[in-house]
Amino acid sequence: MIVAEQKPLSEIKEIIAPYKKILILGCGTCVKTCFAGGEDEVAVLASALRLACKKDGKKIEIEELTIERQCEDEFIRESAPAVSRSEGVLSLACGAGVQALARRFARTPVLPGVNTTFIGVLEKQGVFTEECSGCGNCRLDIFGGICPVTRCAKKLLNGPCGGSQNGKCEINPETDCAWQLIIDRLKALGQMDNLRKYIPPKNWSTSLSGGPRKLVREDHMI
Amino acid sequence: MNKKFIPKITVFHCINAFTENTHSIFVGRNDFEVKFIKLPCSSMVKDIFLLRAFEAGADGVVVLVCPEGQCRYVEGNIRAKKRVAWVKNLLDDIGIDGGRLSLSNIAAGDTAAATQIIDNALKNLAELGQNPAA
Ligand code: SF4
Ligand code: SF4
Repeated sequence: MIVAEQKPLSEIKEIIAPYKKILILGCGTCVKTCFAGGEDEVAVLASALRLACKKDGKKIEIEELTIERQCEDEFIRESAPAVSRSEGVLSLACGAGVQALARRFARTPVLPGVNTTFIGVLEKQGVFTEECSGCGNCRLDIFGGICPVTRCAKKLLNGPCGGSQNGKCEINPETDCAWQLIIDRLKALGQMDNLRKYIPPKNWSTSLSGGPRKLVREDHMI
Repeated sequence: MNKKFIPKITVFHCINAFTENTHSIFVGRNDFEVKFIKLPCSSMVKDIFLLRAFEAGADGVVVLVCPEGQCRYVEGNIRAKKRVAWVKNLLDDIGIDGGRLSLSNIAAGDTAAATQIIDNALKNLAELGQNPAA
């Protein structure tokens, strides 16, 4: 999932300052799971902003809505009546959701309420960790299902740096050394031979280096 | 002349920590107004309920939970404690002071402790004054 974090209230207050009627629009998928922008977070933020504005003597009307997904036009459509009633939309979706809204609603400013942070997993209740950098050429087959591109601080592809201590990364002792995890897992899988394969320098052309990427599926197009 | 400040306090309480028939210990006091919100377990104090109490005009909010280790649902009071801490920070960010919200552990039937908790909240509110967002 995409992991995001709600912006500090002070920043959100600044972002919405020019508007008197806003819609806080949540997204019921990734950002809901990471407690940044689902229905509950929309309600809390709306309440916090109402209290803050009242305290500052500012008048603001806040409408609340959460749709299933903000990155798909089919779902975005449901928000059109609420968007048309507002001067600006504060989106609690990831950056893709904010842009999808902006694309659809040409005349309404769409403002980000969260910082989109990474592609990750829920490691345990309340803890989210980054797992994938979307490099565009996945080699998890060789690395035993653990991504060194993302989880090794030096993005090393041919074994550890030598600074790993007690299974922890030398860059941050709170973080597991990705290569320790890879080796442990390859051992368990009986695939230690994978380590003999030379991995050439990564070709980043499949990543962001060539500008925004596009995926076309002809078979799904009409 | 300023009218005397009579604080409004909303008390969220777990029905195991503070039973309904102990509400009467505050009857007849005219130094504050109180609203009770009963919860089956203190883990039900969601952040939005606490904020809405302030939106509804509360000057202070008190959350009463069972002593640690004695929650009937194992960890409800721990969850409540974490949420209250989170909302206290949020109240500071909002600018209405996290000190308006407090959580206390209390054993069922301990009316003396309940009175003490409310008196402490009142002392605190005498300094903080009225909820500036009410
Ligand atoms: S190799 Fe690339 S696509 Fe695969 S998990 Fe790592 S960053 Fe993601
Ligand atoms: S200690 Fe491990 S994770 Fe950290 S930089 Fe070295 S190889 Fe990478």
